[in-house]
Amino acid sequence: MTASARLPLLLIPAALFVLAIYAWPTLLLMRNAFNEVGPTGAMVEAWSLKTAADTFADGFTFELTLNSIWLSLSATAIALALSYPLSLFLFRTDSRWKGLLAVIAIMPMLISSVVRVFGWLAILGDRGLVNGLLQSLGLISAPLKLVFNWTGVTIGLAESIMPYMILALLAGFGQLDRTLEEASRSLGASPFRTFMRVTLPLSLPAIALAAGLGFVLSMSAYITPKLLGGGRVFVLATEIFEQATTNTNWPVAAVLAIYTLVLLLALLALSNVVAKGLKR
Amino acid sequence: MSYLELSGLQKRYGSAVAVDDVSLSVAKGEAVALLGPSGCGKTTTLRMLAGLIEPNQGMIRVDGSEITRLPAHKRNMGYVFQSYALFPHMSVARNVAFGLEERGRPKAEIARQVEEALAMVRLEGLAQRRPRELSGGQQQRVALARALVIHPSVLLLDESLSNLDAKLRDTMRHEIRSIQRSLGITTLFVTHDQVEALTMCDRIAVMHRGRIAQIGSPEDIYERPATRFVAEFVGRANALPAERGSDGRVTLWGAAQPVTAPVEQAFDIFVRPQRMRILPLSEPAGDATARVTGKVLRNVFVGDHVEVLVEGAGGQLTVEMASGSPVPPEGSEVAVVWRAQDSLPFAREAA
Repeated sequence: MTASARLPLLLIPAALFVLAIYAWPTLLLMRNAFNEVGPTGAMVEAWSLKTAADTFADGFTFELTLNSIWLSLSATAIALALSYPLSLFLFRTDSRWKGLLAVIAIMPMLISSVVRVFGWLAILGDRGLVNGLLQSLGLISAPLKLVFNWTGVTIGLAESIMPYMILALLAGFGQLDRTLEEASRSLGASPFRTFMRVTLPLSLPAIALAAGLGFVLSMSAYITPKLLGGGRVFVLATEIFEQATTNTNWPVAAVLAIYTLVLLLALLALSNVVAKGLKR
Repeated sequence: MSYLELSGLQKRYGSAVAVDDVSLSVAKGEAVALLGPSGCGKTTTLRMLAGLIEPNQGMIRVDGSEITRLPAHKRNMGYVFQSYALFPHMSVARNVAFGLEERGRPKAEIARQVEEALAMVRLEGLAQRRPRELSGGQQQRVALARALVIHPSVLLLDESLSNLDAKLRDTMRHEIRSIQRSLGITTLFVTHDQVEALTMCDRIAVMHRGRIAQIGSPEDIYERPATRFVAEFVGRANALPAERGSDGRVTLWGAAQPVTAPVEQAFDIFVRPQRMRILPLSEPAGDATARVTGKVLRNVFVGDHVEVLVEGAGGQLTVEMASGSPVPPEGSEVAVVWRAQDSLPFAREAA
């Protein structure tokens, strides 16, 4: 066997692992989606589309979809607006603290999301840092509602996806060569024009990568919407969890899970088409 | 009347001095090379001119007005980067149009000028290509067209030929020189390649450790190097350890020479290898001819010439002979002669 023919052997461990813990459960999940729930709430083995039909006929599913997409879009947009300049700085700086700064930027990844959520509660809560400060300054009389609603979830989610987006941006900045900006300056473009005509277009692939990642992570996030939403924020991920655990309605959970997966794939395909269009 | 003037330019990075003190006057339409080894400060000087880095001290004037602190995008200088720095997301035509678009020229005029510029560098058919679809030489031409189309006050070329293969470099040298001459554009050319400097420029400024060691015509630099560094860096030279007698006459390899030298503690005589000839020992030398003797160690055939390595009492030297001429056999005793005026004395540097 030649070396190149042996190369695929390297894939075997990962393939077996994925097969065991991902492919097999996914098949079971798909099987579950065709089962029905009897009047007692007990699962009835079947091969029917009744559960799916009932789920999609329910207006709540549509509302959950819009909620999920809207939450993911806003969290991704906020995270991108914060992480793009930050990543550009990290990519460019000659500071000897560069390594340390990068580690600090992705540090939140190392903290459990539950701990992070409690951190946000301490900051955004009624007696939290933000409200305390604003009240002691006399800017507001009653505390702002910053948690247990969409505001809190969006803030928390944006923060939790930022480290991943920063890493994606840094990885995607490959084409960004400082000489190109110097060339632009020498040809008469101001720093702002240079950013608009050279830096930004050349970082679009990185932005697309980071935004795609941030969106997917937001769509599948469960802990942040659950804990920071305080039971008032309903998205697909929280509903799947509720159905599977609280209601033990596995067929509905399975239908919603597959639906979310297909939805994500469709949205990613759409963003791919848009990205190709941007590149021309 | 100088068109471009640098005076007392200095750039420090912390305690390291990249450019120490550079002053230079360039006439309108003149091409000047900044020649030196890497780290001599030549690129730093060019970047200060373009406004890409700010000098710590000194002044830059173009056509009478001072631009030392003017931001890069207001300087109107054409810069050709070593890596060409073509915008990968734009076609060749858009690359060339970039500077004109930033100047807000009307569309029709831009289209016409881009077409002319591409014709000038002989790339007419490639306007719609992306830079990555072009060869190195073609990219170089796009970069040149892009820098020239804005009618810059000064053209700055940073090691622009160093990424091309030898044959193409030769072609581009002549092409750039003829474009530069026909446009009459003031040009500053940074290079570490002496052939480039000698063939492409009216004058050469040899830089060494952040300063200009010598400035002059290519002939000046080559024939009359002002310092030991210039003699060593530009062209090749044999350095023969010399002794000076009480009468001022110089002794090389134990033989008195018809050469005088200024009083110096220790010095060497520099002679270009192609200025030396090899004679049989029996043949006497003329009055104004320096002569040393030695044994032929080795002959190296280099194509258009042969290098003859001769060892004598004071060390080794290399004589360059036209290939095809009879070469002394290895091991034979010979005399090496040269015109006394081709001897250049330089003090030995303290180790």
